[in-house]
Amino acid sequence: MNQLIVNTNNLNFSYNKSEQDIENLELKVPKGSIYGFLGPNGSGKSTTIRLLLGLLKKTSGTVVLFGETFNNKTRLKILDQVGALIENPSLYEHLDAVDNLRIAANYRQNISFTRIHEVLEIVKLTHAKNKKIKEYSLGMKQRLGLAMSLLSNPELIILDEPTNGLDPKGIIEMRTLIKDLNETYGTTIFISSHLLSEIERTCTHVGIIRNGKMIYQDTVASLKVSKGSNIKLDIEVDLPNEALSVLKDLNMGNVALLDDFLQIEVCSKEDITKVIDVLRASKINIYQVTIKNNLEELFLSLTEN
Amino acid sequence: MTAISFYISSIKNEFIKLKRTFAFWLTIISAILFPILFFIAYFLKHETNTPEAGINPWEKFMTIQIENSIPFFIPMFIVLITSLIMQIEHKSLGLKHLFALPVPKWSIYFGKLSIVIFAIITTYVYYYLAILLSGFLLGLIHPDLAFLNFQPEHLKYINMLTISFVASLGIIGIQFWLSFRYKNFIVPLGLGMFLAIIGIIVSQAPQSIYFPYSFSVLSVSLGDKMPLILGVSSVTVFSVICFLVTSVLGYIHIKKLNIK
Repeated sequence: MNQLIVNTNNLNFSYNKSEQDIENLELKVPKGSIYGFLGPNGSGKSTTIRLLLGLLKKTSGTVVLFGETFNNKTRLKILDQVGALIENPSLYEHLDAVDNLRIAANYRQNISFTRIHEVLEIVKLTHAKNKKIKEYSLGMKQRLGLAMSLLSNPELIILDEPTNGLDPKGIIEMRTLIKDLNETYGTTIFISSHLLSEIERTCTHVGIIRNGKMIYQDTVASLKVSKGSNIKLDIEVDLPNEALSVLKDLNMGNVALLDDFLQIEVCSKEDITKVIDVLRASKINIYQVTIKNNLEELFLSLTEN
Repeated sequence: MTAISFYISSIKNEFIKLKRTFAFWLTIISAILFPILFFIAYFLKHETNTPEAGINPWEKFMTIQIENSIPFFIPMFIVLITSLIMQIEHKSLGLKHLFALPVPKWSIYFGKLSIVIFAIITTYVYYYLAILLSGFLLGLIHPDLAFLNFQPEHLKYINMLTISFVASLGIIGIQFWLSFRYKNFIVPLGLGMFLAIIGIIVSQAPQSIYFPYSFSVLSVSLGDKMPLILGVSSVTVFSVICFLVTSVLGYIHIKKLNIK
């Protein structure tokens, strides 16, 4: 896992001179990882992806992919191992799915016709392969875009907001697909998203960007640990005020009542049982206990000023 | 992979992209437009157009048609077809995808430019065939027009069309660059149409020999008065130079462009 597939050093870029859009970005994507690139809208995710692919000319710094510095000489060799889906997929709407894939395959050369049908099968579009893209839904277009990036069995797949416009079922399918690719072929996958829950469920590594600056970069596991071990609970009961006073007597830490939900912070999972036992002993009915997502708050605290 | 295989696959793809597009139909519509008009005119007034005995009717039919339609129509057609072909790419947000593929950028730029030129040549060919066919049909319907009694002087007319095509190369280079650069097709289309009209208006002035948008008119209107450079028509020379310079500059510019 030590080898870096994507490695940028002091990457800088600006669309115009007055503003710095990407500032000293150090992106480190280990081989075989699923790297989540997280940030609010307009934070520079797409710009970074375009810099990685050489679509934008960096102001300074280096981009190293597969251990080779990206420049005019290495461009073709590097891009040959990359499949990318950048924002809205580039599709010819007056053509059908097979023609669109044929075009991508022709450009890449040495891609067989059977591979076109294989990738259609992978993204479950075989039934619509002869339909014009005009008639496709946004989710279908997104999947076809993904199929295009899979054509050459690349070592690195870059996906820019791949779940945009997908329905919940589509999102789950995309997630499974990404994990499958990673596990079966060892493909390194770089996903950008503004949805933390997406990244949390799929990725092994995470980088959080704000205003063009990397503010956090590590494994998802250590991100969870870094937040500390306290668990926040939301509890719904029939007698919230009584429950509040009962819990305050426990002296466990912060207890509050918000929108008829009790909020309490406990140190370990065992404490959850303790809280429930105390409430039940006071004849208070419990309707639900939920553990609040720590990462969501962390993400907000990191990305908000 | 060799340069030639990149170029061939780029051309192959451009043909697939043209399928079922308006750009494809425009080449046919533009080619048959004037022959149909001339067909109707001859059909309705065949008495006045009946040639005197022994005169080849093709001469008047072909010359009038080519001289009155090509010089004015071709620049407009080039502006339109170039914008339309590039619009296929812009509409699909294709450039960011193409430039992120392991394909040299020149093969994309010049592959597309080749297709534009191919579409224009095809239109010339369709146009010529349409004139021949309309003359032949007129001969069948009204034998007194004598189209069936004579052969057209193919070489002469093909030569006229070739000169007109070469004179148009200059604006093909300019229009292609503009269409590639600007996503919004109003820019190349508006500017191109404006310059094409200016080209017709100023074609009377002697300086118009340096203005590419006048070349199409000049290639026909100047006739024997065309100044020569090393024995070659100066409009031809300037047009080819303009094409080469704008194509190379256009490519260098596009290569360095930030694709947003």
